[in-house]
Amino acid sequence: MVWDEDNEAADPAGQVSGEREAVSRRSVLRTAAGASAAGLVAGVALGALPAAAAARPVKPARQDEHPAGSGGTAAETADEASNGPVVVHVRDARTGEMDIFAGTSQTRLRDPALAARLVRASR
Amino acid sequence: MSSHREAPEISKDPVADSTDVYAFVSPDRPSTVTLIANYIPLEEPAGGPNFYEFGDDVLYEIHIDNNGDGRADITYQFRFETVLRDNGTFLYNTGPIRSLASPNWNSRQFYSVTEVTGGRRQRLAAGLACPPCNIGPLSTPGYAGLAASAVHPLPGGGHVFAGQRAEGFYVDLGSIFDLANLRPFQQLHQQYGMHVFSKPAPGVNATNELNVHSIALQVPIKSLTGSASRHESDPRAVIGVWTTASRQHVQIWDANQGKTTCSGPYRQVSRLGNPLVNEVINPLGVKDLWNSLPPSDDKRFASYVAAPELAALLPALYPGVFPHLAALVKSGKPRADLEAILLTGIPAGLIKGFQNHTGPVLADMLRLNTAIKPAKKPDILGVLGGDLAGYPNGRRVFDDVVTIELRAIAGLTYPLVDKTYKPDAAASVVTDGLTPNNVKAPYLGSFPYLGVPYSGFYNPS
Repeated sequence: MVWDEDNEAADPAGQVSGEREAVSRRSVLRTAAGASAAGLVAGVALGALPAAAAARPVKPARQDEHPAGSGGTAAETADEASNGPVVVHVRDARTGEMDIFAGTSQTRLRDPALAARLVRASR
Repeated sequence: MSSHREAPEISKDPVADSTDVYAFVSPDRPSTVTLIANYIPLEEPAGGPNFYEFGDDVLYEIHIDNNGDGRADITYQFRFETVLRDNGTFLYNTGPIRSLASPNWNSRQFYSVTEVTGGRRQRLAAGLACPPCNIGPLSTPGYAGLAASAVHPLPGGGHVFAGQRAEGFYVDLGSIFDLANLRPFQQLHQQYGMHVFSKPAPGVNATNELNVHSIALQVPIKSLTGSASRHESDPRAVIGVWTTASRQHVQIWDANQGKTTCSGPYRQVSRLGNPLVNEVINPLGVKDLWNSLPPSDDKRFASYVAAPELAALLPALYPGVFPHLAALVKSGKPRADLEAILLTGIPAGLIKGFQNHTGPVLADMLRLNTAIKPAKKPDILGVLGGDLAGYPNGRRVFDDVVTIELRAIAGLTYPLVDKTYKPDAAASVVTDGLTPNNVKAPYLGSFPYLGVPYSGFYNPS
């Protein structure tokens, strides 16, 4: 189950708590491949693929956990991320908009080329 | 129900489904406030071998707003972990459980408590044991004492308990959901021409002999308001209280391991402040959205409070019984009385010696004036019954919130905002016909106040 976050107002945590270094396409795929043994992947990828899906990823925005608005400690999040699955949700294959979930964090990025590769891999 | 199974999505997720919230000045420790959040509706006591427990994958929270903005200033977070001693048996217990450390107890649950204040997180306790569920005289002998040993002290003088309790909320679900056919008045119901009922009948407590899971917290008043000695007229004496449950954004069924794994930030899936708001005031189409939002967003739902559907239904279902209410509904005037009770608190000057107003922000919270002392002789009708220590001044475990809210919606409280309005005679007597006498397990006189849970062996009796 992936919660629909289209309605941003429905997110009580609400804030984008920070940004982190851009996630490269290669690292996402590497992580995804590693996690696949634990049953990974990825949400829904529908719609036509772009003919030229090679845009640079947009700088990702990250949200961290806690509804109380406190945010988890970095150590807590990193620890949870290392133990749990990494999930990629391709929200829109055409634009390459996707969410990456790891531990208690969510990173949104836009990378049409990566989205296209994930879609191809899912078929 | 108060908030049991009140919204379509959360009704399918019982461990994250908040059912009731209580907040009151502790009658036996009046320098403290007791906060209780109940989860897992309608637990059948014999529901083994996997007896009820909190969700290890759910983040439970109790929030306190102490400045009236509908946002949490203090949050207590509770996280649970289930530990099996032996996964080679199907049994919950392999012999009598006489202590929380009993080697006979196979499926145990532990939890941590974290306080979040102003973005600062402080873990107050960890590894706290829940009591087992109440199974029966052989498995859980001396259950009351066993459960009492699961009341744990917290730094700063507080106490915490998390585990099974007897359901203390009483309500005639069968009658209310059968087209609001309140049994004490069923002969007055229009009955859609079927003429089934010709005389009144006593209410039936549909939640009797059922359990819930409670998270109960007792903390010094000064830790919530900054002072233990505020005057009852001081707005800073009033706190807003609600509970939420949250799940991680993504859940994946891992067939290889036979379990669900989770990832991503926590998203709120359940919320509860005042009883019955999401249950009978918000319409189906917004209930799950409401569950995902903080009280500070409740302006979006204020129209449902200002014109509650039930207020229009009562005159239609009981012809001739609520003529003044019918006229009030027809006038289209907003129910400012209900807005005050549920969304802003009652300002000073409307009820002698009482206020629990938190300001103009419309937010569904239980509002407790912590400066009002516990009643020596409590009235289950709370403020309606002249007992200023009861609902809607917070909520005690025994308050008859169904009758209070029925009467308020029926127009009994409208004179608070319009002295020319004369409530219908029926508004002061309408009820589902229940009292605490319809709750088989007695409430406790001390923390955690909700009764000893019903055992599976003896219930249903």
